[in-house]
Amino acid sequence: MTANTEGTSTQSTGNNSTGRRLWFSTQWVVAVIVLVIALIAPLFVQTYWLHVLIIAYFYAILASSWSLLAGYAGQFSFAHMAFMALGAYTVGLLGRFLRLSTAPTGTCAEVRLGNLWLVLLNAVGDNCLEVGKANMPVGTLIYHPPLVPGIILGILVAGLAGLAIGALVLRFRAAYLALFTIAFSEILRTLIRGEPQITRGDHGLRVAALFPDTISRIPYYYTMLAILVASLLFMFWLARSRVGLFLRAIREDEEAAAARGVDVVRYKVMTFVITAMLAGLAGVFLAHYITILSPNIMVLPQMGLVIAMAIIGGVESLLAAAIGALIIQVSLELLREFEAWRLVIFGALLIVTLRFARNGLLAPLMQQLAGVVPRPESRREEAAAEVGEEVRV
Amino acid sequence: MELELQDVSKRFGGICALNQVSMQLSGSQLVGLIGPNGSGKTTLVNTISGIYKPDGGQIILNGEDIGRFKANEVARRGVGRTFQITRAFRRMTVMENMLVPALAIPSGKGRQEIVDRAREILNFLTLDHLQGDYARSLSGGQQKLLELGQLLMTDPELLLLDEPFAGVHPKLMETIFEYITTVHAQGKSFIIISHDMSSIFTLSQRLVVLHYGDIIADGPPEVVKEDPQVIEAYLGEEDEDD
Amino acid sequence: MEYFLSLTITGLVMGIIYALMALGLTLIFSILGVINFAHGEFYMLGGYMSYFILAVVAGLNPFVAVAVGGLIIALIGLIFELGFLRPMHLGHIERPAEYAILITFGLSFFLQNLALATFGPYPHRPPSFFEGSVDLGIIRIGADRLTASLLALALLAVLLLIINRTWIGKALQAVSQNKDATAIVGINPLRMNTLAFGMGVGLAALSGALLAPSFSITPDVGAVPSIRSYIIIVLGGMGSIPGSILGGLLIGLVESFGAGYFPDPSRALNYKMVFGLVIFALILLFRPRGLFGRREA
Repeated sequence: MTANTEGTSTQSTGNNSTGRRLWFSTQWVVAVIVLVIALIAPLFVQTYWLHVLIIAYFYAILASSWSLLAGYAGQFSFAHMAFMALGAYTVGLLGRFLRLSTAPTGTCAEVRLGNLWLVLLNAVGDNCLEVGKANMPVGTLIYHPPLVPGIILGILVAGLAGLAIGALVLRFRAAYLALFTIAFSEILRTLIRGEPQITRGDHGLRVAALFPDTISRIPYYYTMLAILVASLLFMFWLARSRVGLFLRAIREDEEAAAARGVDVVRYKVMTFVITAMLAGLAGVFLAHYITILSPNIMVLPQMGLVIAMAIIGGVESLLAAAIGALIIQVSLELLREFEAWRLVIFGALLIVTLRFARNGLLAPLMQQLAGVVPRPESRREEAAAEVGEEVRV
Repeated sequence: MELELQDVSKRFGGICALNQVSMQLSGSQLVGLIGPNGSGKTTLVNTISGIYKPDGGQIILNGEDIGRFKANEVARRGVGRTFQITRAFRRMTVMENMLVPALAIPSGKGRQEIVDRAREILNFLTLDHLQGDYARSLSGGQQKLLELGQLLMTDPELLLLDEPFAGVHPKLMETIFEYITTVHAQGKSFIIISHDMSSIFTLSQRLVVLHYGDIIADGPPEVVKEDPQVIEAYLGEEDEDD
Repeated sequence: MEYFLSLTITGLVMGIIYALMALGLTLIFSILGVINFAHGEFYMLGGYMSYFILAVVAGLNPFVAVAVGGLIIALIGLIFELGFLRPMHLGHIERPAEYAILITFGLSFFLQNLALATFGPYPHRPPSFFEGSVDLGIIRIGADRLTASLLALALLAVLLLIINRTWIGKALQAVSQNKDATAIVGINPLRMNTLAFGMGVGLAALSGALLAPSFSITPDVGAVPSIRSYIIIVLGGMGSIPGSILGGLLIGLVESFGAGYFPDPSRALNYKMVFGLVIFALILLFRPRGLFGRREA
C-alpha cells in the first residue's frame, strides 16, 4: 500500500489510482475472509491439523517479515532464521538458567529483587541450586520466573542482533549481504550446537509451555494467529506510513533517495531491526509452543523454505507472502505421502516462479481478482497495465 | 545563500577529477558550469551534494562545513540536485515521487498542505494529470520535469541541475526554461551543467569553466566567451553533439 | 613440532581439494559475475554420480567414473545456465543482482531435495580408490584422501594450463576482464558464460567425486563445502584464480590448525568451520577484496 493514496485517489481521475483503490479493498476482503476461516477453523479440524496451521502461521510471520526486508527495503538477508532462533533460544536459556527464590542460595550467582532473589544457575559442574538447597530455610520456594519478561527479552535480543547486522551490512551489495548473513547464521548455529553444556545442542533444549495447564492446542492456535494478524497489521501500517514510502524509494534508487533527503542508513537499519524483532517474536512463541528447541530450526534449508514461500507468494506483497506461506505449508502437509518429493516440487516451483513470474504467483492472482489489470486501450493504460503487475502490499 | 568551495579536490585512483577548485556563490546567482567532456562538472556537483566526499579542501554552505556530510544531510541543508540521467523512482507514482523529498525533510507542514503544494508544482510542470501514474510510464522528458518538481518540494536555496536540457524537445525546453527563470526570480541560486551553449549563455549571469579538474575561467558569459584559454580548451576537443 | 608438521600436511592435502572447488566458484564469478549459491550441491551431485556410475557399470575404473561423473554434472550445469542464467545476460531479467542470488539459492534448495528424494537420507560411499593408509613418516593419511589430493593437484595444473595457454582459456580471461570488448573481437561472451558455468560446476562435481570415497555422500553433504568455497573466494579475492588456490590452501590450514590446537578436543571438530566463518565475516567487513581481488561484486 502506498502512503497517501487515500489522499490522492479520491480526487485523482487517473485510471491507475482507481484500479489501485479496488486492489486495496479487494485485499482487505480477501484478508477478512481468510481471517474468518482461520478463526472458526478449530471447530472443524482435528488436533493434527491445528498443529499444521500453527506452524503455518509461524512461517507466515517469517515469510511476510522477510518480504518486508527483502521486497520492500531490498535487503536480501539470510539471517532471518538466525534472528528467529535468537528469540527462541533466549527464552529457552532464560528458562533453563534463571530461577526466582524466596531465599538466597548462597552458592549461585544471584541478585535481590524486592523480597525475592533472581538466581542464575551454572552450566558447568554441579548444579549450584542443589548444592545450595541444603543450607536454605525450610519452605523456601524456588520457581521459574514468569514468561512475559522472557518473551520481551527474546524479542529485544533479536532486535539487537538485527541492529548489529543491519549496521554492518549497510554498504554491502546484494551478493556480499547474502554471504555475510549466511556466515552470521552459520556461526550462530555452530555456536549453539557447539556449546551443549549451555544450549543442550542437538539434544534439545526444553522450554516451558505457554499454557502448561492444558493439553489442547487451541490456545496456542489462537495465540499464534493473533500474533500473525498483529504482525501483519503492524507491517501494513508501516508500509503505508512514510517509512514505507522511504523504503520503496531506497529500493528503487538508493542514491536518488539520499539526494532527496531520505536518511538511507536510518531506514535500512530500522527495517533490519523491526523485521528481526518480528522474527524473534515468532521464535519466542515457537519455543513456548513446541517446547523443545534444537539448532535445526535455523539450518539454511529452513531459511530457504521461508524465502521460497515469500517469493512464490509474492515478495513485494506482505499479504501475498503470508498467504503464500499458509498455502505452501498446508500443501506440504496434504502431500505428505510424497515425502521428500514434496519439497522437490516446491523447489522447482520456486525456480520457475523466479524465472517467469518474478512478482510471485499469488500476488498477481490477487490483483486479477481485483480486476486491476485493465485492457490496453490507450498508451497510458497499456503502460499502466504493464506496471500493474507491480504489487505494493 | 552562501556557498564557498576552498581548494576542493577529488581523486579517483590515479585520476584527479577536481584539482583544488575554488569558487564562491552568494545571493541568488544563476551559474552555468561548462567545460569539455570529462572536465569534472558532474564530479563537482556530486561532491557538493554529498555523494562524494572531497579528498581535500572545504565546502562551506551558509557558514557550515558540509564536506563530510552524507547526501541526505546536504539535501536537508537546502541543496537540491538533478541527475544527468533522470532518476525518478520508477515503480512509484508521480505523487509519491513528489512526497518523498517533502516527507524526508521536515518542514512543519501538514500532509494536506504538502499534497496541495505537490499538485501546484505538478500543475506548473503540466504533469498534474499524471499524478497517479507510475513514474516509469512517463516519457523521458516528463520524468525530467518530475525530477525538477521533486526539487521544488523542499524549497531549496541552491539547485544543482546536471544537463537539464539534454535530449529535451523544444516544447519541453520552454517549460524548463520557465521553471529556471521563475525559481531564480524567487531568490534561489542555480548551478547548471550544460553542453547546450545557447541556452546556458542566455540563462546564466555567470559562467564557470572547468577543464581537467581546474577552473580556467569564471565570469560573465560575454567575457568568458572570448577567453583564449576557454576557446583553446574547446577547440582542442572533438565536435560534440548537444 | 611433529604435531605442527602433521597438521600442516593435513591442511595442505585438504586445502588443494578445497582450492579446486573454489576455483570453480571463482571461474563462475569471474566470467558470469554471479555467485553460485548451489556450488555445494554440484559437489554433492558429483559424489552421487560417481557412486552410481560405479554401481551400474561394474568393474569400471573408479577414476573414469569420477571423470565421467564430473562431465555429466558439468553438462547439467550448462543446461541450467542456458535456461536460467543466460536470460540475465540478455537483459530479460529485472533486478538481475537479486535474481542471480535467488535463482542459484533456489537451485540449491531444489537439488538438495531432489537428491534426498532420489537417493534417500542415508550415506552412500563409493568404493575406495586405494585401500588403507599411507605412511608419510610424520603422518598417516588415508590413501583415498591422498589420492584425491594428488588428483586435485593434477587437475589444478591442467586447468591453469588451459587458462593460460589455450585459446579457450585466453578467451575466458578476456571475458572476465571486459565483456563488451570480447564481443567486438569475435568471442561470444554468452557462450563463454555457459562454458564457464559448466566448467565451474564440473570442478565442484569432481571435488565431490574425489572425496566421496573418503567421506561418503548425503544429500546435505554440500552445505559445508559450499560455505567453505565462499570463504575461500572472499579470502583470496573474488575473481582471482591465484587467490582461490592460495585461499584454498590457507583455509585448509586454518581448519587443520583450528581443530588441532583447539583447547577442547571434543568440540574441536564442530568449531572447525567457525574459524573460517569468522575470518570470512572479518574480511567482508574490513577488506572485501581479499588478498588478490580486483573486481567488485
